[in-house]
Amino acid sequence: MASLTIDNVKKRYGQTEILKGINISIEAGEFLILVGPSGCGKSTLMNSIAGLEDVSEGRILIGDNDVTYASPKDRDIAMVFQSYALYPNMTVAENISFGLEMRKVPKEEREAEVERVAEMLQIGHLLKRKPAQLSGGQRQRVAMGRALARRPKMYLFDEPLSNLDAKLRVEMRTEIKKLHQKLGTTIVYVTHDQIEAMTLADRIAVMKDGEVQQLGTPQEIYDNPTNLFVAGFMGSPAMNFIPAKVVEQNGSYALELQAATPTVVPFPKPDSLKAHVGKEILLGLRPEMITEPQPHKEGKEFVVTADIDVEVTEPMGADTMVLTRIQSAEVNCRCNPAYPARAGEAIAMMFDTSKAVAFDKDNGQRIDN
Amino acid sequence: MNKNAANAGSGATPAGRPARLSLADWMPKIVMAPTVIAAIVCIYGYMIWTAVLSFTNSRMLPTYKFVGFDQYERLFMNDRWMVALSNLGIFGGLFILICLFLGVMLAIFLDQKIRAEGAIRTIYLYPMAISFIVTGTAWKWLLNPTNGIEKMMIELGFEDFRFNWLSDPDMVVYCLVIAAVWQASGFVMALFLAGLRGVDSEMIKAAQLDGASTITTYRRIILPSLKPVFFSALVILSHIAIKSFDLVAALTNGGPGYSSDLPANFMYAHAFTRSQIGLGAASAMVMLGCVLAILIPYLYSELRGERHE
Amino acid sequence: MSNVAKRQTSTLDKVLRIALYVCLFGMAAVYLAPFLVMLLTSLKDVEEIRSGTLLSLPSSLNFDAWSKAWSGACTGSQCEGMAPYFFNSFQIVIPAVAISTLLGALNGYVISHWKFKGSDVFFAALLVGCFIPFQVILLPMARTLGWLGIANTTTGLVMVHVVYGVAFTTLFFRNFYQSIPVELVKAARLDGAGFFTIFYRIILPVSTPIIVVTVIWQFTQIWNDFLFGVAFSGFDTQPVTVALNNLVNTSFGGKEYNVDMAAAIIAALPTLVVYILAGKYFVRGLTAGAVKG
Repeated sequence: MASLTIDNVKKRYGQTEILKGINISIEAGEFLILVGPSGCGKSTLMNSIAGLEDVSEGRILIGDNDVTYASPKDRDIAMVFQSYALYPNMTVAENISFGLEMRKVPKEEREAEVERVAEMLQIGHLLKRKPAQLSGGQRQRVAMGRALARRPKMYLFDEPLSNLDAKLRVEMRTEIKKLHQKLGTTIVYVTHDQIEAMTLADRIAVMKDGEVQQLGTPQEIYDNPTNLFVAGFMGSPAMNFIPAKVVEQNGSYALELQAATPTVVPFPKPDSLKAHVGKEILLGLRPEMITEPQPHKEGKEFVVTADIDVEVTEPMGADTMVLTRIQSAEVNCRCNPAYPARAGEAIAMMFDTSKAVAFDKDNGQRIDN
Repeated sequence: MNKNAANAGSGATPAGRPARLSLADWMPKIVMAPTVIAAIVCIYGYMIWTAVLSFTNSRMLPTYKFVGFDQYERLFMNDRWMVALSNLGIFGGLFILICLFLGVMLAIFLDQKIRAEGAIRTIYLYPMAISFIVTGTAWKWLLNPTNGIEKMMIELGFEDFRFNWLSDPDMVVYCLVIAAVWQASGFVMALFLAGLRGVDSEMIKAAQLDGASTITTYRRIILPSLKPVFFSALVILSHIAIKSFDLVAALTNGGPGYSSDLPANFMYAHAFTRSQIGLGAASAMVMLGCVLAILIPYLYSELRGERHE
Repeated sequence: MSNVAKRQTSTLDKVLRIALYVCLFGMAAVYLAPFLVMLLTSLKDVEEIRSGTLLSLPSSLNFDAWSKAWSGACTGSQCEGMAPYFFNSFQIVIPAVAISTLLGALNGYVISHWKFKGSDVFFAALLVGCFIPFQVILLPMARTLGWLGIANTTTGLVMVHVVYGVAFTTLFFRNFYQSIPVELVKAARLDGAGFFTIFYRIILPVSTPIIVVTVIWQFTQIWNDFLFGVAFSGFDTQPVTVALNNLVNTSFGGKEYNVDMAAAIIAALPTLVVYILAGKYFVRGLTAGAVKG
């Protein structure tokens, strides 16, 4: 296992800059997830780590070795691709042992290694088949097996689960997590699925337009996003951004929002609002913080109950999402399915702002940090 | 071992990228090199060379006395060249139109879930596997004014049937059309059949649900979606027409007189047998101009289309 | 869907359907007729040709014309029949096809999986090479072959066919390799395989269909070539098409159409056999250059 340091890496194609100075460093054995919308540069960064693309500037270190200009085969990295990229003309066993063969590992050792990996991934019965004869989930396992066989310093996963159906995806997600816990390997994992990111990562790097927007643990990113983009990207349904006016109240500062009637809610860090008195900002509030009135929370600090106008309800089984509109912004509330919210009617909701965050409306940055 | 290799990488100058001198990195370029050199010399270099020759008064051997556009002037004053050009117009126009018409018709007919489709398709297309020289030889016999089709029709009872196009300077060019259509129309059929099979079947179902008849479906939905195939067929057929050399050589040898010459034959005759290299080069450049006039818009749209994907 | 199929059985539909078949089979007869005439003519003797018509059957099977065409007919000044030229053609075709196919495969592999600066531009430039009228390169090529001392030789002809065939073979292989996912090559590179190992172990094993298409295409093109043959071959290295043309246009005494036809069939036979055995691949080659992807 080895640590990974990405030091001010830039990548240009002609005039366009795909990576604008990426700085990431993770410890040996850490599970790093790169998330971001398509075109954000996460795949380019992945390819740069693997050595499949040259970088224009900056350094990449694996352990203490500078590998910026090393060729892919000399970096000792294995990669699992979205399309699996299994060699169609080889059997599963040959696919798994190809990398060892290229590194001139003797035949007996190769066979033993195939054996070990096959057992670990429960694909022993598939070893003699060709990739075309496998199901999607089986191909996925073989692709992982091929990566595991070489015991490299680091694994790269490029959206490995996105070609699987929903049920299999959840299964494999758990399996990858178990493997990581068992083997303690360093993993860099690209995905656009934020649930995968939350469940698997030790640390998440949220990327956009060739820049890392935020690097942190899943919980940090969820609770404490640095800007509107990160806040909106992580979490499903996304965080609500409610337009609110900063008002002065009893010598402190609070926020006024236009629910069914104008409602003033408190804010955890009132002093940070001082500079914005009288202006409109965006209040960031996760859907689970707007619920039906809950007796045990009644009267606590940062809890306010107000009426809202229900636009649509979306039952999801465990919860029901109630949609309302505050000024022009759509707001999701996560309610108990038993709560009798009906479209077109007004109903009471409890706003818990103890974990609320605030963003500048113009530049999207946090103002309460 | 990996450690060593990685260290080798870090040993490079920190300022910029190290010069990658390993053979492996140069392999793709080394492999392509022979083709690149051959293409630059034998396609573009020779094109320029021929262009240069066309501005000289070379006769039996290339000389490099430049005479400006004299050869082109001579070319367009030359009756034989003008006959060849107008023949190309007639031959090319008819050949392309008839091939397209037959090809589209046969493809649509064959697309009606025909039994023995494979066998019929094989028969339509086999002439494409044959050399134009063989085609010319065969049709020379078939169109033979005394013993060919004419005699057969007379024997069948059409006493007054006359068919002597092959020896009629005004009609001989149509013989070329007949033979060329026989050879290439099956190919157009194959192109369109492949196109028809590629049309989205859900689109056809939608049209049928909208109440379109079979004919309307073809006319309004399917054929318009085959525009790229039309375009490709058009380019390939005009390319065949402009390059046609062997068919004339075998079927008419340019005769009677030079009434069935095409530009390709004119070029060959002047450059290789009549010691008029300058004139031959000029005629080759005119042919190249004709091909480019068709090709450049085609390649442009093809490459642009690819970028959109 | 079965309802739709059942509805189509009205009388009008039946009549149309019969008309369709008549039309299709009629056209098939038209396409077949020339070859049938060639075959019938080649089996008659000169007297029968004069008295009969194109489609009249020979009174007895007479292979004299065939043996004369093969080994005795005069092509220009020599009277050795088609046989030597038939073998000349093979001597030209086999190395030319092999070399151009190999080069095309390597070029296609580079252009689709080892792109470098300018490789796409070069590919576009090469495409133009597929389409230029060869008249434009005839004169310089004749000079070059003279300088290299391979004018009028088989080697020279092979070289010419390779140079102008590579554009097509590259196009074929490039379009095919374009459909092989880039991840496959990336995975192999991470596994430690190099340029040729990837080509040999990963790419080549899945290339069989496109190799067949390319070989058939090149074989047909080069076998059927006349222009390069007539311009660059010597008396003893002429390919079969040039010999056929000479035979047909040699006019000593009476015209022997039966020999002409037998010789024409001999010249056409190899490509026809290939077409009948592997027509599917032949068609794929024909359409590959036209309908891309």
